[in-house]
Amino acid sequence: MLRKIYVKEMKYAFRDYRTLILSVVLPIIMMTGLTFFYEKLSSDGEGETFTLAVSDSITESEEAILAVYENIKLIKSANPEQVVQDGDAEAGLILADDFSASIEKGEKTTVTLIGNTFSHNSSTLMSIVTNALTSYEKMIVSSRLEQNGTDPNLLQPFVIEQKEISEDDIGSNLLAMMVPLMLVLAIGIGAAPSAYDLFAGEKEKKTMEALLMTPVNRSTLLLSKWLSISSIGVITGIITILVVTVEIAFFTEKLKSGLSFGENVWMIVLLSLLVIIIFSMFNAALLMLTSIVAKTVKEAQSYSTPIMMLGVFPTMIISSIGVNELAFYHFAIPIMNIFSILKELLFGVINYEHILITLLSNLAAMIIIFIFSRILFLKDKWVMS
Amino acid sequence: MIEIQEVTKQFRDKKKFVTALKHVTFTIEKGETVGLLGENGAGKTTLLRTIATLLTPTEGHIKVDGYDTVKNADEIKKGLGVLFGGETGLYDRLTARENLEYFAMLYGLSKHETKVRIDELSKMFGMRDYLNRKVGDFSKGMRQKVAIARTLIHNPDIILFDEPTTGLDITSSNVFRQLVHQLKKEGKTIIFSSHIMEEVSMLCDSVAMMHKGELIYHGNLEELYQTEESRDLNYIFMSKLVRGNDTYAS
Repeated sequence: MLRKIYVKEMKYAFRDYRTLILSVVLPIIMMTGLTFFYEKLSSDGEGETFTLAVSDSITESEEAILAVYENIKLIKSANPEQVVQDGDAEAGLILADDFSASIEKGEKTTVTLIGNTFSHNSSTLMSIVTNALTSYEKMIVSSRLEQNGTDPNLLQPFVIEQKEISEDDIGSNLLAMMVPLMLVLAIGIGAAPSAYDLFAGEKEKKTMEALLMTPVNRSTLLLSKWLSISSIGVITGIITILVVTVEIAFFTEKLKSGLSFGENVWMIVLLSLLVIIIFSMFNAALLMLTSIVAKTVKEAQSYSTPIMMLGVFPTMIISSIGVNELAFYHFAIPIMNIFSILKELLFGVINYEHILITLLSNLAAMIIIFIFSRILFLKDKWVMS
Repeated sequence: MIEIQEVTKQFRDKKKFVTALKHVTFTIEKGETVGLLGENGAGKTTLLRTIATLLTPTEGHIKVDGYDTVKNADEIKKGLGVLFGGETGLYDRLTARENLEYFAMLYGLSKHETKVRIDELSKMFGMRDYLNRKVGDFSKGMRQKVAIARTLIHNPDIILFDEPTTGLDITSSNVFRQLVHQLKKEGKTIIFSSHIMEEVSMLCDSVAMMHKGELIYHGNLEELYQTEESRDLNYIFMSKLVRGNDTYAS
């Protein structure tokens, strides 16, 4: 009986264009957009060409300061700031009229760098230009000190050597932030229409009364509906992961370099699938509860929206924490633990204790929600419109 | 046989209680067709839902063929067909056949029984042409026919109809009336609520009149006509209401 009801619910859900759009089409569009956005974000400017606006009066020797960077194209203008304002250049550089002459004389001169720090391209170009100017400044200082018979090392009593313990690049970090967030949102959004339809929708259309008039046990009905919502969540989750994996593998470089699972690749895939299943089941239980409490589909949507928004908060917490800093509570709190465990897996870390804590905490929360839902589903007030 | 004993049903509406049924007591014999009359909010649908085991009485009890609606709900459901008015309670994205097959499965019918029953019902209601079309595209009359077929799919002995002809055109209403005649011949027990006195007069053996949750009359229709010296059920109902209101006022 359970299987037959489940099959009918799945068939019914996938005949709804909303379910098809939100559980299949939306994850593909959303993941494609985000994958390419993050790929661009993770780019350090290498391979990209930037346009720098400079004054008409710039000399050849001044241009030579930037000559080492082949990806910088110069636009000469009487008003470089206006060129940047007009969007024809990502940044602008204004050297004082007597820049070279002042340096030769050993006098102080000025350099103005114009740009928009809120723009990724502009800030990247500004950082490249700053680096070029800093190197040029060091060269001038060394040369002046040598001319005065002073050892340049006098100005640099020690060298700071920074050692990075994390072997991961920006790609891994962005993936660890992007994949769990997208997965949580995609599963939530994908499973929602069927969750609304199976309880609040059935109350609204009076099919719930017809259903309750049959001799089928209410717990069986509840279980089959919950399994259907969970399955749609799992399907959405798998599509999301598939889309992101294919796109990262074939269409990105930086994000691809962030994925280095080594020999554990299959184990990580399997564990990710387990995480998707457990989260889909937990999410289905939550959506089911909101749909039981609601009298109409609209009401169910109002209740579930803030719950889905909860899924965004752990990103803010987890993205600023190193993978080695994740503590017990990160794995014990449902929703947050999905972000934590996926972060570990994306960094190639398999910690069975953390996986177990995640599974058990989600399972416990799910059982509590399910029991509560069952209590409501057995009461006239919550099953009749 | 349906025995309704001192049934009271209260609903909590925010902080106060609303009494939808007040000590309702009457008995419906096997094979009887009862018309349930009353204004909107009189308690007709609540009474039908309580008989149908969907609602639990706050006080009193209902026994259907000896089974208690609270303790033995599953046993009662096997032999009960219910159609609530207004919405037809069908799945829009399933075809008429899929709807009927789904409910047949829920009532535990075998594949063969389901096929035979769908053939019988589709012939009876003239649904063969649109049996394989999705219900979402149907007219109200077509939907109502499928909903009635769904109610009868498991061949129940007791059938409850809540305002079944509301919103139906004259042809569909006639189909329903013919169906009730057919079901009466088969010895089914039928209770249906209606605002249409002519329909009740034409189809029912007895009537139960309700007002503000109370049963103000239950009895044989012919006896009622003789007692009231009129065959105008509308007039009788209105005069019963007036007398009832006088009684409440005093």
